[in-house]
Amino acid sequence: MHSRLQTTAMESSDNACFHCGEPIPAGVTLSISRGGEEKPVCCAGCQAVADLIFSSGLGRYYQFRQELGRKAEEDLQYDITAWQGCDDRESLWGAELADGKRELLLQTEGIRCAACAWLIRSHMEHREGVRSVQVDTATGYTRIVWDPESNRLSQLAASLMELGYKPHLPLASAEEQGRQTEKRDSMKRLGVAGLGMMQVMMYAVGLYAGDAFGIAVAERSFLEWVSLLVTLPVLLYSGRIFFEGAWRSIRAGRPGMDVPVALAISLAFLASCFNFFRGQGEVWFDSVVMFIFFLSLGRHIEMILRHRNLQAGAALARLLPEWAERLTADGQETIPASDLQHGDRVLVRVGEAFPADGIIRLGDTEVDEALLTGESRSIARTAGDEVIAGTINLTQPIEIEVKASGQETTVSSLGRLLLLAQSRRPSSSFLPVWLVPAFIVAVLLIAGGTWLAWQYIDPQRGFAAMLSVLVASCPCALSLALPVVHAAASRRLLDDGILLTRGESLQALNHVNTVVFDKTGTLTRGVPEIVKVELNPDRPGLNEARILHIAAALEFSSAHPIAHAFQAAVKDSTKNVKPVLVVKDVLVHPARGLEARINGTSWKIGKAAFASPTNQGVNDDAIWLADSEDWIARFVLQDALRDGAEETVRDLQEDGLQTAILSGDSADAVSTVAEKLDIDNWHARQTPQMKLERLEALREEGHSVLMIGDGVNDAPVLASADVSMTVKGGAELANSTADLILTDDSLSLVAKARLTARRAQLLIRQNLSWAVLYNASVMPLAVSGMLKPWMAALGMSLSSLLVVANAARLVSERRPEIGDKTT
Amino acid sequence: MSMVYVLIPLALMLLAFAVWALIWAIRSGQFDDLESHAWSVVLDDDQKPPGEEPEEEEKEE
Repeated sequence: MHSRLQTTAMESSDNACFHCGEPIPAGVTLSISRGGEEKPVCCAGCQAVADLIFSSGLGRYYQFRQELGRKAEEDLQYDITAWQGCDDRESLWGAELADGKRELLLQTEGIRCAACAWLIRSHMEHREGVRSVQVDTATGYTRIVWDPESNRLSQLAASLMELGYKPHLPLASAEEQGRQTEKRDSMKRLGVAGLGMMQVMMYAVGLYAGDAFGIAVAERSFLEWVSLLVTLPVLLYSGRIFFEGAWRSIRAGRPGMDVPVALAISLAFLASCFNFFRGQGEVWFDSVVMFIFFLSLGRHIEMILRHRNLQAGAALARLLPEWAERLTADGQETIPASDLQHGDRVLVRVGEAFPADGIIRLGDTEVDEALLTGESRSIARTAGDEVIAGTINLTQPIEIEVKASGQETTVSSLGRLLLLAQSRRPSSSFLPVWLVPAFIVAVLLIAGGTWLAWQYIDPQRGFAAMLSVLVASCPCALSLALPVVHAAASRRLLDDGILLTRGESLQALNHVNTVVFDKTGTLTRGVPEIVKVELNPDRPGLNEARILHIAAALEFSSAHPIAHAFQAAVKDSTKNVKPVLVVKDVLVHPARGLEARINGTSWKIGKAAFASPTNQGVNDDAIWLADSEDWIARFVLQDALRDGAEETVRDLQEDGLQTAILSGDSADAVSTVAEKLDIDNWHARQTPQMKLERLEALREEGHSVLMIGDGVNDAPVLASADVSMTVKGGAELANSTADLILTDDSLSLVAKARLTARRAQLLIRQNLSWAVLYNASVMPLAVSGMLKPWMAALGMSLSSLLVVANAARLVSERRPEIGDKTT
Repeated sequence: MSMVYVLIPLALMLLAFAVWALIWAIRSGQFDDLESHAWSVVLDDDQKPPGEEPEEEEKEE
């Protein structure tokens, strides 16, 4: 049967992990057997996940998934232990249901397609005490109804982690709960209006047929009576939001689109009731319900599109770690980082981010502050020095005393300041603020005028004509023209791996003529790579591959970013598997280097002054390798360019855009990158303040600027640019001020964003022209009474749907691939 | 034509039931995830009862 089903092309190639698709590191020979075939995997974590999936009879996941799995953590025990610490916290169990069960909402990383949702459901629903499991693939939330008496929170989290997904602490679920309520309410309103509409339309057919062929008075009034009976609940239930919206906008002093809508449905309903009880004249119950239904439908679609973009914003990498290891009198415990108090002692392991602002009490280490300063080199910190939450501990486990945590950390308060600055940014909204109220007032005047005029011509038809004007003029299509395109564009961008946080920025993106890049982490990957190996001419006998191998083995024990550079270099330069070198007696000297023994030989690797006795005076950024006699090799490290950086910059320049670099890094580092990318306009050693001034100077010269950055230090400049974009791995703070967030490593997404912006611009023009044309042409018909209210309602609704459908083309249309996504 | 006096109230009762059923379904979350259920038709085919970890092993059915 599955021959007819389109199985996705996710079969892994020979050197990619079967589960997550990442390249398999040199020397790793793990695999899993699947139907007699051996499939390679990249790590023990992925192996465990794949094994579990197959042994549970869920192997079909691999056949039907549309995206590759998330790379599994190799060691789950640490995370599971952390979750176990939270088992007793009732506040984390989720909302309590009437029967004592709990409804838990876990934001879960790694859910990518329907197959993931099925996998999680199938795996978890048989667990003890689990009543039901729902997975929302769009938002990445897993909803578990469970019984706290027969299972534990950590068990639930563990069963998600076993599958390779990563649940986050259920802290910010209130917002998601609100979204779900909104969605359910909207569906209920739509359903009630739809069912009601079908009924009332049916009776209306009877009434119209009666008009044509004759109908008994009793039957006629019976049909009208049931119409009223069905319309009333629809009006009160589904139509309520329009009355509420209208009332809110009037009270705020700025009448909105809801005012004529509310006026039209209430007038039409009251007049119909009046005619019905009076026993003569027309009734318009069918128009009322139809109007409500189509308006609800438009709102519902808009809401779905809106929710789709909000979701992923919540899933973005968190700047502060979720967990912290607090030292207590009798050992240590893992607690949520937000629970840390002033004065707590916290152990921070190597490679972890600091969970709070604090002062080092024990230990020396190096700290990666690139997130805050843009500086690509690490900084030495010792006891008594301050460390800032979110920066990363590189070389030694240390103990800090908490000074500020959670909302009080430097990073969080900086974030709040920025959000404030951002709210002051002039809105680039398309329509002027005064236009909508003016329009509404004009419509009300025309409607009143129409009624007055008809009093002199034919008082009988005056009311119907006035209703038609109110309904026909409803600028629904006009008001939807922009938001629906924005919503569709953000959906489209999301598929491409770009999050759009501010719809209006799409239009601004079309007018950009200058692109300013940050360097570290934006144009470059933010992690160093070995670009040159220099051998000591006086020490022959060792070839480059062998030396790299030794250096990599030495650095293996360190979490320093430089260590990764050596691992990567070994992978590139040696294809054949080497014997594993056993490294002993490792001694780390923070900020200087490390020494260790391999097969009895002692080695030193690090700064010149540390490693090489003959180069004491040299102070360069290179890494030196030496044995007990003298130096053997010198490695020059550099931050490598991000994928697609060169093409992206070239494309932008070919399109006539100016390019510039503003970086906090040293002039040497910046000039190398600028040269490679052929960017003439670059500035090094820029503080956030200086970046901001330069950008504002550019804008004053009349440039419209797209700023692309990633770090916390870029956040202010991002907030003040015309359009801002952050790259994958950007700080949450930077992301929060960005209009567009790239979620893929390659910079080629910039081109995709620009293409979508151009398409969106075109669709907006089409939509606006149609809406204006429709409203302008239908108004005279309504005033002259040629348009019956039901026709006006139908025409208006169809016009709105047309606008929505036109925008939806952006989501579904195919287009030539630009710069293939690398998997 | 007097049949309508019976049929329409009947239809209204059906309508009331339909509205109640719809609201019940939405409340119980049946419309929350509209994507993955479509896949369960093809995916559920070869599913055996999941092999739980030994300590949780409890044969149901």
